[in-house]
Amino acid sequence: MAKFPSEEWASEYVAKLNSNANYEDAAKRWEGSITLVVRKDAAFDKDAYIYLDLYHGKCRASKFSFAPEELPTPEYKYSGPYTNWRRLINKEIDPIQGILTGKFKLEGSMMTIMRFTRAAKEMVATASMVATEF
Amino acid sequence: MWFFRAPTIIFGEEALSYLASLPIRKAVIVTDRHLRETETPQKVRQALPEGSQSLVVGDIDDEPNLEQMTHHLDAIRTFEPDWFIGVGGGSSIDTAKILFFLYERPDLTVYDATPLVNLGLRKKSRLIAIPTTSGTGSECSWAAVLTETTAKRKHELASPEIIPDYAVLDPDMVISLPAEQTKNTAVDAITHAIEGYVSNWRNPFSDAFSEKGLELILGSLPGVLAEPTNRKLRANVHIGASMAGLSFSNSQIGLAHALGHALGARFKLPHGKTVGIFLPLVVEFNSPVCGDRYARLNALFPEAYRAESLAGSVRNLFRAMGQASTVSEAGVGRAEYFAGLEELVSSASESTGLATNPRDAGTTELRELLTRAYGGHG
Ligand SMILES: [Fe+2]
Repeated sequence: MAKFPSEEWASEYVAKLNSNANYEDAAKRWEGSITLVVRKDAAFDKDAYIYLDLYHGKCRASKFSFAPEELPTPEYKYSGPYTNWRRLINKEIDPIQGILTGKFKLEGSMMTIMRFTRAAKEMVATASMVATEF
Repeated sequence: MWFFRAPTIIFGEEALSYLASLPIRKAVIVTDRHLRETETPQKVRQALPEGSQSLVVGDIDDEPNLEQMTHHLDAIRTFEPDWFIGVGGGSSIDTAKILFFLYERPDLTVYDATPLVNLGLRKKSRLIAIPTTSGTGSECSWAAVLTETTAKRKHELASPEIIPDYAVLDPDMVISLPAEQTKNTAVDAITHAIEGYVSNWRNPFSDAFSEKGLELILGSLPGVLAEPTNRKLRANVHIGASMAGLSFSNSQIGLAHALGHALGARFKLPHGKTVGIFLPLVVEFNSPVCGDRYARLNALFPEAYRAESLAGSVRNLFRAMGQASTVSEAGVGRAEYFAGLEELVSSASESTGLATNPRDAGTTELRELLTRAYGGHG
C-alpha cells in the first residue's frame, strides 16, 4: 500500500502508467508535461505536487514534492483539494466532469486538450490500479 | 453533481411569430446556400420586431470549414448586432454559434471554446436557433462542429455558453424538407437518442429525453416519409429530434459519432448518413456492457421494425428507409477508403465521444469497426 500523496505513490503510479497499454494507445499523440496538484483541505494539511513528463503514451520523467519550486514548470496543471483526489482515485468522479463541475481546475493551453479525453480517463483508471492508502 | 441545460424552447404552430416579442434591434441571420434561395430567410426577417435591422449571412456550405464560416466577421463587427439567429440545418446553426462566440470574444480562437473554461459570453448579444431540419439537435446543444479542410477531420467545439438562448421549433420550417434530408437528419436524431441513453455521463434527465424523443420520432417518421406535408407528424419528429438533442447535449455522444465524424470529414458525406452506417455496429459492440438499456429502447420500436436486438431493429428501420448500411453503399471506393484507414482510426480515437462511450474502444477496436463498416469483403 502506498500513501497518497507521496513519493512512493507517484513512482508506483508511473510504473503502472508505463505498463498500461490502453493509456499508451490513447495518448499516442500526446506531448506535454502535467503537474497533478493536491490542494490541502480539512482531510490533508499541505499542498502536494506530482510532476509527470508525458510523451507519446509514456511517462519519461516524474517528480514528487511538497514544494512547487522544486519541480519543472509544466505545460498543464490539474489541481483539486485532497478529498476530491480521493474520490477521483476511487472512481467516484469522472476526470472531465470533475473540471466541468468545479471540483478540479485545469490550467494550460486548451487548444487540443479535448482530443485526449480518453487518455485522461486512462490516467485516472491507472491511478485506481495503485493500491492506495488515504 | 451534474447539470441539465436547455434553451428556452418555443414550439408548435406559429412558433416563429414569437420573435416579434423579443427585444431585437439588430440581428445577424445565418443561413445556408440552399435556403438563401427560398422564402425561409424572408419569413424570419418578417417575424422580427418592427423597426429592427438584419444582416443576412447566406452562403454557408454543407459541412463548412472555418474560413467559410467566418469570412463575414468584419462586416458583422461593423454591423454591431445584438442577436445572432441561425436558420437552417446543423451547419447554419453551428456557424451562428461560432460567429456569436467570435463576435463576443475577438481575443479568442475557436480552439479556445472548450467546456473547461468560462468564456464570459453574452456581453453584447444573444443567440437564437431556428432549425429547418429535424435531427442535428444543434438548436439545443452545447456543441458546434467545423471541418478542418487541411487535416480532413472535424473539430468539435463545446461550451455551455454556446447553447442558444432560444430554440424555435416551428413545423412550418420543416414542412417542405426534401426526403433525402428528412431521412439523414432523422437517422442522426435516432443516433443521438441511443448514444445519449448509454453514455457514461447519462443521467435521469438525458434518459427521459432519449426515451420520449425516440418514441416521438419512431412513431411519426414512417408517416412523414409516406405523407411529407402532414404537419402533425412533422411536428412530432421535429420535437422528438430536439428532445434527442437535449439528451446527448446533457450526456454526450458516443462511438457512432466518433466514427461518423471521422468518415464524414474525410469523404464529405452527410453527417446523418455516416453515423447511421456505424450505429448498428456500435450498438452490437456496446451491447455486452449496456444490453439492458438497449432492450428498453428496443421496446419503443414499432412492431413492423422490431427485431430481437436493438441493432437488428435499427437495421430494419434504416433499410426500410433506404439508408446506406455500409461505407461501400455510401459510394466510397474500396482502395480510397482503406488507403486512409489509419487516419480515420486516429481521427476517431481523438474524438470526445470515445471517453463517454460505455465500452472502451482503443485503436484496435476502431480499426476493426471501420473495416467491418466498409461492407462486402472488408
Ligand atoms: Fe449528430
